[in-house]
Amino acid sequence: MLGYIRQAVISVRNVRFQYPEGGFSLEVAHLTVEAGTRAAAIGPSGSGKTTLLNLISGIERPSLGEVSTAGVRVDRLSAAARRSFRITTIGFVFQEFLLLEYLDVLDNILYPYRLHTELRMNASVQARARELASDLGLGGLLDRSPSELSQGERQRVAIARALVTAPKLILADEPTGNLDPATKQQALDLLFAQCEARSTTLLMVTHDHGLLDQFAQIVDVEALGSASV
Amino acid sequence: MKDSIFLAWRYLRHHRAKTLLLVLSLSVFLGLPLVMRAMSRATQESLLSRAEATPLLLGKKGSSLDLVVEALYFQLKGAEPIAEADVDAINATELALGIPIRTGLTARGFPLVGTSLDYFPFRGLHIAEGRGLAMMGECVLGAGAARGLAIGPGDALLTSPSTLFDLAGVYPLKLHVVGVLEPTYGPDDEAVFVDVKTAWVAEGLGHGHQDLKDAGPDLVLRRNEGSVTANAKLPQYNEITESNVDSFHFHGDASGYPVTAAIVVPHDEKSGILLRGRYVDAPTRQLVRPAEVVDSLNKQIFRFERILEIVVWTVGLATAVMFVLVMVLSWRLRADELRTMTRLGCSRWKAAQIMGSEIVIMVGASVLLAGVFGIVMAQYGETWLQNLILRGS
Repeated sequence: MLGYIRQAVISVRNVRFQYPEGGFSLEVAHLTVEAGTRAAAIGPSGSGKTTLLNLISGIERPSLGEVSTAGVRVDRLSAAARRSFRITTIGFVFQEFLLLEYLDVLDNILYPYRLHTELRMNASVQARARELASDLGLGGLLDRSPSELSQGERQRVAIARALVTAPKLILADEPTGNLDPATKQQALDLLFAQCEARSTTLLMVTHDHGLLDQFAQIVDVEALGSASV
Repeated sequence: MKDSIFLAWRYLRHHRAKTLLLVLSLSVFLGLPLVMRAMSRATQESLLSRAEATPLLLGKKGSSLDLVVEALYFQLKGAEPIAEADVDAINATELALGIPIRTGLTARGFPLVGTSLDYFPFRGLHIAEGRGLAMMGECVLGAGAARGLAIGPGDALLTSPSTLFDLAGVYPLKLHVVGVLEPTYGPDDEAVFVDVKTAWVAEGLGHGHQDLKDAGPDLVLRRNEGSVTANAKLPQYNEITESNVDSFHFHGDASGYPVTAAIVVPHDEKSGILLRGRYVDAPTRQLVRPAEVVDSLNKQIFRFERILEIVVWTVGLATAVMFVLVMVLSWRLRADELRTMTRLGCSRWKAAQIMGSEIVIMVGASVLLAGVFGIVMAQYGETWLQNLILRGS
């Protein structure tokens, strides 16, 4: 049993969550995602996909149940500890990319290192960021502003930012939602390749059922428990 | 902290127009009241120190402020003149030294001041270059005038015609620059000093021409016993030289010639009181203490300064409100960025540190700019404000 827990990067049991202001609530009976797995979270709008990611990452804390991410009971951590945990353990890729226009590509990739003292910026980190950018085809764009990039390039910068801290888990919330079909597959291929190369677990929210055959595990959020508004 | 400053700096640099506008607004808000107060104080002190260095001033009865402003600061106010005889009368009392001051003309924009040689030691003026006045037709330049005109000893300077379109009027007089004074950082720096007789010649009250005894019939209109009347062909000199200086003369009694004022330097306190007593009931003359006049002007400036301060603080308050509003709106527009920060694991304290760094950088730049503004104004503003006050007085 212990060995199993060690291998599970995500483990959610009997979780109940409701936003403090009321309204939406989510219950999850059981979810496990093993290390190195490429998993997709699906479900209709309002089923709680993003809330599930927030619980796994410790952005939100459940009122009941256990959430264990990368072997850490995040539901037991304080807000400050959850922030530290999040920035050192999890990489995020968002649908809207959320890049900063006032930073160039390299500084956008290194952005997490500017936000937390636990991540120490040094020459090797910078070298890793450059290498990552090169792997993602951004080598010649490091001094560009995000506004000078195409949508696909912007998403690749967001992927590099998620990977630069060498996280154990990548949580991607519809990362290809704003991309055209050709760019979408290209971005996914790069994300998958990078996760595979680093043995990083990926949990990606998607509405695109055409992509599901590329994932090893499908998490149907609707089937996990119940969600209500 | 280094990272917060880095992010703040990058943000401000990216939004440089907004940042510049805020920094400029803040620097005006921070700098203007301090600069205005410092300049005003310095100007008042400067005005008062010159006035206090001038014991008494004799002039035509009328506005004492106009008299002081024209005779001490050489700002042309059209003060009614007294006569050279008034200066002689002061000297004749043996209670004080009378120094004539004749203003009214300019030379290429700088005030032409006719005076006596006593003026220079009285004001503590020293020659920096060349020599002092020795004969009519010569001038000595204040340091600022020499710099402004870019001339020095050996050069010439024309007086400006008082009436440009009056062809029958007084023609410019060519002055020989013989010396430049050491800077005093006061009105003397901006003046062109001549002997009072030279000033009268420049005004057209004296003139020089060819000796009529030897003049041919083509230049003489009428020749009577004891007098010769020349016609208009007789050439007039517009320059006083060693060879023609003797031909310059004044028709009539020179004691009736005008001087703007006379600086009166009593030999002692008692002499000053005696002299003041003599002029108390003078029907057409006034003997004033410039310090009292300037003190009353300073009180007016002080009142104006108070009003100005209220205006500046009101504008400052509006600027501060605008600054806060712009920052709040800016943070609202950056909601996505703040959300990203939070999701990535950034603490509220860190986010506040980044925003705080932006404010500190802007306020710091504003203070720096206000300081530079203050230094520049301290360098040039005092003269500018002094001129503004004296012209507007």
